[in-house]
Amino acid sequence: MFTHIWKKEIRGELYTWKSLLWLLISSLLFSVTCYLLLTNKELSLLDQTELLWLLGKVIIGVALLIVIVDASSIITIEFEKETAESLFISPVSLTDFILGKLLAVLTLWLAIFVVSIPYIIVASAGSNLAIPFLLYTMLLGTLGVLGFTLLVFAISLFFRSSKNTLTTSLIILLGLSIPAVFSTTLKNDVVSQIISRANPVDNIFSSLDNILVDYQTSLIQNWQFIVPLVAFCLLALIILLFAMRRFQKHGVIQSE
Amino acid sequence: MSAIISIKNLSKSYGSKKAVDGLNLEIQRGEFYGFLGPNGAGKTTTIRMITGILLGDEGEIAIDGGPIHDKKHVAKLLGVVPESRGFYEWMTAIEYLYFFADLYNVPKKNQERLVTALLSEVDLLKRKNSTIGTYSRGMKQRLGLARALINDPKVLILDEPTLGLDPQGQLMMQQLLKKLSAAGVTIFLSSHLLDEVSRLCSRIGILHQGHLIAEGTVEELKQKTNMKDLTEVFLHLTSE
Repeated sequence: MFTHIWKKEIRGELYTWKSLLWLLISSLLFSVTCYLLLTNKELSLLDQTELLWLLGKVIIGVALLIVIVDASSIITIEFEKETAESLFISPVSLTDFILGKLLAVLTLWLAIFVVSIPYIIVASAGSNLAIPFLLYTMLLGTLGVLGFTLLVFAISLFFRSSKNTLTTSLIILLGLSIPAVFSTTLKNDVVSQIISRANPVDNIFSSLDNILVDYQTSLIQNWQFIVPLVAFCLLALIILLFAMRRFQKHGVIQSE
Repeated sequence: MSAIISIKNLSKSYGSKKAVDGLNLEIQRGEFYGFLGPNGAGKTTTIRMITGILLGDEGEIAIDGGPIHDKKHVAKLLGVVPESRGFYEWMTAIEYLYFFADLYNVPKKNQERLVTALLSEVDLLKRKNSTIGTYSRGMKQRLGLARALINDPKVLILDEPTLGLDPQGQLMMQQLLKKLSAAGVTIFLSSHLLDEVSRLCSRIGILHQGHLIAEGTVEELKQKTNMKDLTEVFLHLTSE
């Protein structure tokens, strides 16, 4: 059943000018990043591994931003456009509905990842890091996108309004990204280090640093970043399950 | 006849306001039931509870003997034209019906025949490849009816299906409903058009402030209240 919802989303949400525009924007951002890294006087003095790390952060950062914007409306639009009632009168369960929407968001992430592949390959030329860079961008990006999407879906079921969902989700992303960007200066004490370990954005960036700058490319060498990311996804899933229970208790339509 | 919809002591409140208060109702198999009431009487709330998308605070609802929380059972039996008229405006009518045919697990081999027959029934066959966003209100209402019939329901629930339609649109909808009723489909029609209800329905219930204040055939209601027609009956009962 969820595959029908997924197909509908692909046709109605992703296979549209909006998504094509997002992919074009992603491509432009990756192009500008690569151009600056290779031509800017100060940036081009950086070691290639540092350049790759910066590019990796841009790819996953852009993907997280786009995916969160998309996920913030993909559920709430059914309530705002009043299509939810007809949908939930049919045999579609809430689980099918969520799974279909989740697959659609993951498809968008996959499209962004595919767009990033040429940039990763070109920027990694001569470093032997192209394959690990690709695989880890895929793995870390998927875990990040999955965790944030589950969280955004939970917020969507709570608010049922795209404006409130988007605002809350962007605040969360911003709140997690700022310490991650300034991680080196904020990791001087134990409390900051603990916060950093729990922060999914920080774990993604730190893992990329570990792989691309320190050449620690095996999964075992990155478990300390991947395990917290998996934990973040599980926590987001628990929050979503709670939101789904609450949603079912309140009904598809809350009031007249 | 046995009841296909059975409602016992159903209540629903929004904050301190009781939208539906201890409602008891039985709709018999094959019946064309008119559900009347002024604005805010609780008609839409009742319909939403029958379709399972709004949960009642108290009471029980059974559809053909099964509880409404059995979603598959309910979805199989019910066809609904809800009050909210949301459509996927970017879809064409044919894509829209195929989408719902998939959701209702209509076998792929039957879908083309079914969708074509339904579009023909609601007179949208010529515009089947136009996006729904280009449809008039009346065309959307007809498409909503076609969607409600995609699972060949035993019970059709309609919440103000002719609201905002021009006289031709109303007539067309009424003829379709008559045809479905004659074919044995149980119809539960909520409407403000008393003349429409009077002509179509075999039995009528009048809801006021969440209570079912009167029930019977048009003749029975006229006799009980000593009024000439349904409009007078309605105004007499709901003005108190």
